[in-house]
Amino acid sequence: MPLHDTGYQHWQGVHCGLWRRRWTIASNGLTACLQNKGLRYLAGLCWAAALAMTALLFLLGQLLVADSIVVQWIGNLSPDLQGFARTFTTWLEQHPEVSVRTTQDVLFFYFGLGLLRLSIFALGMAIPFLITRDLGSNAIIIYASKAVSRGDYLLGKFCTALGLMTLTWLGPVCAAWLLGNLLAPDWRFFWHARVPLFHALLFGLGSLAFLSLLALGVSAVAAKEKSTAALWFSWWVLGGMMVPIAAHTNPWLRHASFNFNLDQLALGIFRLGDDLKIAQENIPIFGMMLGNVPRHTMAALNSPPVWGAALGLLLMAALAALVVRKRVKPE
Amino acid sequence: MSGQPPNHHDAAASAPVIATQDLTKVFGSQRALDGVNLRVGRGAIGLLGPNGAGKSTFMKCLLQLQPITSGSAQLLGREVGREGREIRKRVGYTPEQDCHIPGMAGCEYVTYCAQLCGLPFQAARQRAHEMLDFVGMGQERYRKADTYSTGMKQRLKLAQAMVHDPEIIFLDEPTNGLDPKGQAQILELIQSLWRAYGITVVLSSHLLHDVDRICEQIIIIARGRVLVHDTLDNLKARRRGAAEVVLADGQDHLEAACRRRQWPCQLLPNGHLKIEHNSASLNPLLNLLHELKLAPLEIIPSPNALEETFVQALEISHAPA
Repeated sequence: MPLHDTGYQHWQGVHCGLWRRRWTIASNGLTACLQNKGLRYLAGLCWAAALAMTALLFLLGQLLVADSIVVQWIGNLSPDLQGFARTFTTWLEQHPEVSVRTTQDVLFFYFGLGLLRLSIFALGMAIPFLITRDLGSNAIIIYASKAVSRGDYLLGKFCTALGLMTLTWLGPVCAAWLLGNLLAPDWRFFWHARVPLFHALLFGLGSLAFLSLLALGVSAVAAKEKSTAALWFSWWVLGGMMVPIAAHTNPWLRHASFNFNLDQLALGIFRLGDDLKIAQENIPIFGMMLGNVPRHTMAALNSPPVWGAALGLLLMAALAALVVRKRVKPE
Repeated sequence: MSGQPPNHHDAAASAPVIATQDLTKVFGSQRALDGVNLRVGRGAIGLLGPNGAGKSTFMKCLLQLQPITSGSAQLLGREVGREGREIRKRVGYTPEQDCHIPGMAGCEYVTYCAQLCGLPFQAARQRAHEMLDFVGMGQERYRKADTYSTGMKQRLKLAQAMVHDPEIIFLDEPTNGLDPKGQAQILELIQSLWRAYGITVVLSSHLLHDVDRICEQIIIIARGRVLVHDTLDNLKARRRGAAEVVLADGQDHLEAACRRRQWPCQLLPNGHLKIEHNSASLNPLLNLLHELKLAPLEIIPSPNALEETFVQALEISHAPA
């Protein structure tokens, strides 16, 4: 016999708002994703990379202090190297826009792209948890019969993907920037490093939104978890393999790879060519080093096919939206 | 939280909970709903019809799970299609098929469903446990729903449909796949929803016995059209003229007396004597029993009224125009 009343009780509390319900869908999706051990490890790896980036920024910052531990340590290794480091420091002190802005721009460009690869991998693992499972288990009917619309459901799932990528990409990038500049020897680092942060955020938020939408589209293609995950990874890998081949045959075919498009967008936003040009003009040693860089590489850095990439991404986003619209129905 | 049911009976008791005007739903070349016009009040409503008649489509159109092709519908006084979210906040639904979220335990699932309806987390969790108690689920609520038996899944579906305290609940074949004991328990629960707690129940089933036991109003649908919409009492009254009589002894006398009056009678396998007395009232039969000095153990008037009405309605619908 039950110890308490098991009869039906009416509920007379106050209902939460619509945004709370959307948040419930998003947070529930993220929780489901993070129940996957592989995804937890991957997120940990991204944060470890952020710590490594912080350490690197700390060491570079120390190079600007004449008698810092790092310079002394270099001196212990070799007195000649210490002399070089001191000369280098003097140059950098005279050109903070190069020493901080250019360095961090280059570092965050590569760091961002590296983490983006990990995030795409993480998103591939999370694809089944977005829409595929709900289609396969008919849970989509339950969502449709509750006080949320199809738009609310999709917004929640979009935020799930966005949340996951914030955990594996935007969070580590911002944390590395903040900690790296916090540990720098001078507060002015924050000021000089504002442009790399702006570049990273512009690229990050744009690609996060695009990849989240693309992930929703792929997730809605089929009701079988393995199929959608396989489709994501196939598109990523085959697209990547196709880029070097297409470069010699039909260059426009490269835009079928979302990875290539995102790389070009990153190049367009970070404008590394301009950064390197400033460095080349102000610091002689950079001029010598950059003289060895092949001409076509410099050309690619200076004028990436940004509009083609943007158009490619736009078409992919439209395709994803179309798939979602067609597939995400209660029946 | 209150133990007192809201007075659904008094509040706008006369207003229809479901109203449709020429409601039509077309799938390709097939008309699943063909100009359905209905005004249904609160109560326990049975939606009857053969497979593919349009029962589920009718419910899905009302819940906006299917877009309406033409016509209009109002649920709880609100326009379906324009106020979907607000309507669904006050409506519960148990689909025919399994619909749990993989990887979730039963109590997590019901809590989540409550949150989707706008309950704050603490209230949702408490309410989920109350509903799981109500449907008779024990410790298995902490297990993943993927591992549940059919009976447990049906209970879980019922719990998720009631967790936000709806005013009306749509049940699509809720006893499918259940053993007789499980069926009886679920039906008892459903029966109590209207009779004890004032929640309007719309039960879609092809099992006449389930509907007969629970529902007060009957809607028979076939080929996308409403063939019959009336109270169960009225339907039974229309088909009075037959009764089953249970006697301890004297069956032979009664049979012989019936034959003399040209009342067809038949001894059923369960020992009951089915008599067609061809009268709207039971009085001629009672008079006969009195004359024969027979004391019946039980008289069941119009025992198969619903079944007969159902079959007759289907025959009419299948007849060429």
